[in-house]
Amino acid sequence: MDDYTIGVLTNAGLFAFIALSAYLLLLAGELSFGQQAFFGVGAYSGGMLTAMWGWPLPLAAAVAMLLGAIAALAVAVPTLRLRGLYFAMATLAAAELARIAFELLQWQVPVDGEATGPDGTQGFRGIRWVLESGIEPQTFLALIWAVLTAVLALFLALERSKLGATLRGIGEDPELAAALGIDVDRWKLGVAAAAGALAAMGGVLYAHHNTYIEPRNFDIMLGVHSLAYALIGGLGTAFGPLVGVLVDIGLLEGSRVFEGYRMIAFGGLVALLLVVRPRGLLDERVVQWLRNRFSSR
Amino acid sequence: MSALLEVKDLITAYGKIEALKGVSLAVAEGSITCLLGPNGAGKTTLMMTVAGILKPKSGSIHFAGGEISRRPPHAIVGAGIALVPENRLVFPNMTVLENLQAGAYQRRDRGIADDIERLLTRFPRLKERAGQAGATLSGGEQQMLAVARALMSRPKLLLMDEPSLGLAPLVVEEIFRIIAELHRDGTTIFLVEQNAHLALTVAQHFYLIEQGRVTFSGDPGSLAEDEVIRRAYLGTARQ
Amino acid sequence: MLADLVQNTLDGVAAGASYALIAVGFTLIFGVLRRANLSYGPAIMLGCYLATLAFQRQPALGALALAAIAIGGSVLAGAYVERLCFAPHRQGSAIAAMVASFAVWMQLEELATLALPRHVHAFPALYDGAPLQLAGFALRVESLAMLLAAGLACALLWWMLERTRFGLAVRAVIASPVAAELSGISVPRTFVRVFALASAIGGVAGFLVAASHEQVTPMMGMWFTLKGMLAMMLGGLGSLSGAVWGALALGLVEAHAQWFFGPQLRDLLIYALLFALLAAGPRWMITRSAS
Repeated sequence: MDDYTIGVLTNAGLFAFIALSAYLLLLAGELSFGQQAFFGVGAYSGGMLTAMWGWPLPLAAAVAMLLGAIAALAVAVPTLRLRGLYFAMATLAAAELARIAFELLQWQVPVDGEATGPDGTQGFRGIRWVLESGIEPQTFLALIWAVLTAVLALFLALERSKLGATLRGIGEDPELAAALGIDVDRWKLGVAAAAGALAAMGGVLYAHHNTYIEPRNFDIMLGVHSLAYALIGGLGTAFGPLVGVLVDIGLLEGSRVFEGYRMIAFGGLVALLLVVRPRGLLDERVVQWLRNRFSSR
Repeated sequence: MSALLEVKDLITAYGKIEALKGVSLAVAEGSITCLLGPNGAGKTTLMMTVAGILKPKSGSIHFAGGEISRRPPHAIVGAGIALVPENRLVFPNMTVLENLQAGAYQRRDRGIADDIERLLTRFPRLKERAGQAGATLSGGEQQMLAVARALMSRPKLLLMDEPSLGLAPLVVEEIFRIIAELHRDGTTIFLVEQNAHLALTVAQHFYLIEQGRVTFSGDPGSLAEDEVIRRAYLGTARQ
Repeated sequence: MLADLVQNTLDGVAAGASYALIAVGFTLIFGVLRRANLSYGPAIMLGCYLATLAFQRQPALGALALAAIAIGGSVLAGAYVERLCFAPHRQGSAIAAMVASFAVWMQLEELATLALPRHVHAFPALYDGAPLQLAGFALRVESLAMLLAAGLACALLWWMLERTRFGLAVRAVIASPVAAELSGISVPRTFVRVFALASAIGGVAGFLVAASHEQVTPMMGMWFTLKGMLAMMLGGLGSLSGAVWGALALGLVEAHAQWFFGPQLRDLLIYALLFALLAAGPRWMITRSAS
């Protein structure tokens, strides 16, 4: 596999995390423009732990996920009563606050004689744990997709279980769910934390793949992109956001066919697709049909 | 008398659920025709379909010679049908006067101001409150406003969905007095009512609808009134 | 100190006036269609880009001609957005419409960079000369034009809504699309007209902002949309007068915060304020939500 393909597939895998993060919230009926904040929290915290204090990546990733979950709760708790565009705007505001916080974050420690750490708007360079551990790009790619597969397996298990049904119920009709005795608030907080941790996981891996991150990486564009991936891929299954990511990063960017006007192509594709399939490619109906076909064997 | 409105085999669905399962009926020109039936039978669905808000899955609606089931709602108003909807739906943020002006939106003639004057005279309580916002009116006044607004388009066919709902008996009497008046003046009226007794006193013809199908068609008196009332509230025991 | 305060207030009000124009257009679409149009800013930006292209080909073009091109471009781009992103989802999902509008945002941004590749392009100033002096305080001609335009737009909009047949239709659709249809008002046609009106108002704002900053950049798209949304949210979602007050508040807070704290903390303050307002307030959530 050539370097370019490895790069494309790696990117696809990384952004799948944040797309799944947005998807999880959508299932629970929440529209978030702000998952990029937790992606960033994961990236910065994971990067700082490995680059500044030499922590091993797995440990740093675990802490990053925890911090992502906490950050997500910090946003979710005050906004529990908000719906629709109000909630979306609140998540946007929170994400921009996070981005500005990254711009203000300046903390460097000497590592091997060099100042290492986030340097405000100049970014954070030298997140080299993966390189220095001798992990090849192919191996890292495999690692990312292994984690992603585990996450997808969890999602699939969730969707078949009562948890998944409850979640979708809350997403479709929260009043009804509450009337049926479900603690909607607690569920929403749980989902927010999980989505935050998921995005943060993607962020850690992203930081270590790129070795350099800056606040601009975690702006509104990333957030709205992840939402778009979740929506065009389809809300019927966790494979939906994956499809969305693969279509954009894999097909459009990777294939270089649309060099120079990839956004025009992707944008047009998304808008047109939504006209015929407002709930995405793999929406609930398609997924149900697929399930029926494959279970009748 | 010829049929002004003719509905044939109308099927209207909400997603997979068919609320109208093949409804056929006719409203004779110049008559007051009544549609009775229990809650959930499909009365409002039928009204909304005729008015164009809901689109039927299949079937036809003929009005004054034209097929209207595919037309947008505002075009159906233009063709001469006006619906006084079940929950009145007056514009709460607009004055009584503006509500009436909205009702005349399709009209480009010069008689609008005169019509407003005439309707305000006919509904004196509205005249008192001409400059008040719709939200400040009482239930009965809102009902009258909704009727007046519908009349502003000079409809040939007036659809009324449960005009007596939630109103005090005196107000209901007044509404039905107005219905009788309109009938005298030549307006054809298609009326959905829960109050079967009152409806039968004004109607020339009535239909019973149960679970999305027409189950009876006849003149008042062709079925014993208590039988009608029973079926209008409870439906027939078993299909 | 007081002089700075007054100058900042003047600047803040001027900025607020530009935000008011943008916010009014954005709120019109949100209030009537019940949808957030994420391509609102990019459509305006495209109009400005068209005007820039025209200016580069024909430097002799006057301000009026350029304004007309900017407005026309914005309306055209807006029509494209309306047809592709909002008309198909009129009775469907609000989220689908919003995501579609984001997709077109990406399209319009890339289109702009393809048409004019450099990050920044010059745009002619409205007035070549020193700012006016008002009792010792500086007031740029562009700012004055902005204030006049915003005032005029608001007055015209009020008159249109309260005194014309079209305005009646708009208010009816805002109150109840079903009741409006039953009164004989075509809701789809009203949507198209409101969209065009909002795009035109945005085009005016865009032209004045471009002339004020004397440049256009592709980032203007997102900038316009953000300002419009922020102002609308600050003013209490969905009301036109609220949008104007929210816009003025935004301009003032920004101007003063920037003076005291610098640009980063200024933005921090705005977003923190918005988040706090949203978190605090059932008051802001009363009537309608987007879903």
